[in-house]
Amino acid sequence: MSKTTAVIGRRQAIVRETRHLLFTVTPGAAWIFIFLVLPSAYLMSVAFMSNGPYGLPEMPLSLTSFQQLAGQGFLGWSPGNLLTLMRSLWQTVLSTVLVVLVAYPIAYYISQADIRWRPIMLLAVVVPSWTNQVIRTFGWMNLLAPGTPLAELAEAMGMIAPNMGLYPSNFAVTLGLVYNFLPFMVLPLYAAFEKLNFALVEAARDLYASPFKAFWHAVFPQTLPGLLAGVVLVAIPAFGMYVIPELLGGGKGMMLGNLVANQFAGSANWPLGAAGAILMLIATFIGLYAMRRIGKRLGGGEEVVI
Amino acid sequence: MKRSIFKKGLRGFWWLTIGFLYLPLIVVMLFSFNASNSAASFTGISLRWYRRLLGNDAILSALSNSLLLAVISSLVALVIGCLIGYGMYRHRHRKLGWLIVLIYLPIVLPDIVFGISEMTFFVKINELTGLLSPGLSTMIIAHVTFQIPFVALIVYSRFVGLDPSLFEAAKDLYATPRQRVQFFMLPTLKPALISAFFLSFTLSLDDFVISFFTSGPESATLPIYIWSAIRKGVTPEINAIATLMMMAVAIAAIASLWLSRRRTVS
Repeated sequence: MSKTTAVIGRRQAIVRETRHLLFTVTPGAAWIFIFLVLPSAYLMSVAFMSNGPYGLPEMPLSLTSFQQLAGQGFLGWSPGNLLTLMRSLWQTVLSTVLVVLVAYPIAYYISQADIRWRPIMLLAVVVPSWTNQVIRTFGWMNLLAPGTPLAELAEAMGMIAPNMGLYPSNFAVTLGLVYNFLPFMVLPLYAAFEKLNFALVEAARDLYASPFKAFWHAVFPQTLPGLLAGVVLVAIPAFGMYVIPELLGGGKGMMLGNLVANQFAGSANWPLGAAGAILMLIATFIGLYAMRRIGKRLGGGEEVVI
Repeated sequence: MKRSIFKKGLRGFWWLTIGFLYLPLIVVMLFSFNASNSAASFTGISLRWYRRLLGNDAILSALSNSLLLAVISSLVALVIGCLIGYGMYRHRHRKLGWLIVLIYLPIVLPDIVFGISEMTFFVKINELTGLLSPGLSTMIIAHVTFQIPFVALIVYSRFVGLDPSLFEAAKDLYATPRQRVQFFMLPTLKPALISAFFLSFTLSLDDFVISFFTSGPESATLPIYIWSAIRKGVTPEINAIATLMMMAVAIAAIASLWLSRRRTVS
């Protein structure tokens, strides 16, 4: 008798817990499913449809959009889209490397500062990124326009033709990307430097390691998890960037994000845009997966994954 | 000797980087007070661009759209995100991998893919049912979608930081579920909820790409207005709105910092 009531009681508890789980989790899970998972699934399906008269997707299913993405058009093959892809990849790699080169010493410097100053210094690095991205990019347009001191300096050094601004150009896009993503790299690197075990550095010095060797064997490996987290936070959004290349890059500085967006605006071709979006998603997931694998091998495991 | 050169170099590099980070913002602020409408030379101080803002209906309506969107979407996301954050905590021993993936999805998805997915979806729904024509409602839906994860993660981490025996204690004292929510959970969550609201609010104000693709003809927000003004040809008025937006962000940041500091003291 008492056993059966216990069983019933436990079953009731399970039912209650499950109901609780459903009650708390369902609204949010359903919201994200309906308003993000379904839309992305629909977008992906669009990539496999044909392009209709107004750029809207139509049946029958086809792979034309992927051929177009590879450069196949009415007039035969053209390298335009592939160049855009290569440029996105190149800009992502270049700006990520530059961000690392700037952020590394900065993060180290902050970690060595007086403990009272550190939060303020971190804040100083982060505050500019609170301003809207469009406004920050507009600030760079002001700085790089023809006739500004920076443009005149570049002109005097013979880097650009007279009366040309420093934008639109690929250089301006790289600059904008570095500017935009610097804080994303400083924060995880700082976290790594703060935990740095200096006993290892001293041990290396005691063993007559050169400063470079001491850095390479005692410091660098300890900061690697932070560095990788930063690379994920910088490279993935940089690859899909839209605003910066649109404002600072012009036609010759276009990246994948602009190629995709254009297919949904003026020169409408939804299937082509959707194919580009799929490519971006694949790149994102490969990036996340690769970083997770490397992170696990380093033992930094959980903290590496955002 | 070598060490001090290294340190001086590092310090110089720090100030150089700070200059690099603030230069574009300072230029925008400076030129918002420019007397002439040249973007290359500063001719004198004037407030004419600010005065002109006040007479511009498009800007004022963009401002009210931005605020309306940020407040409504943050409130909706706060309720939904808070529930899901608590659910994640309470049932953390179950296998909830799918839920974690779902929650991280809006964060890792590139903005442009996010925005275009929503846009194509809303167009399709509109075509089929006539509902959800692009405008403030579609923007609110999209914003709530990217705000939920942040609220959920903040609430979840607040609960994880609590002593689990507190939950037992509340139960042992025969508190009804409603009383537990009213007298235990909401008060302990209050700081987390406030910071989640502020974060959602700034995320919404700061967003351009997702708003851009889900907005309708009547629902331009400030970033969208600024964007189209830049595309049409730079006017010095943009400097003035941009400066005001930067001020607003700075004030919000100082306020939240001050609130959090006061909280840790008490």
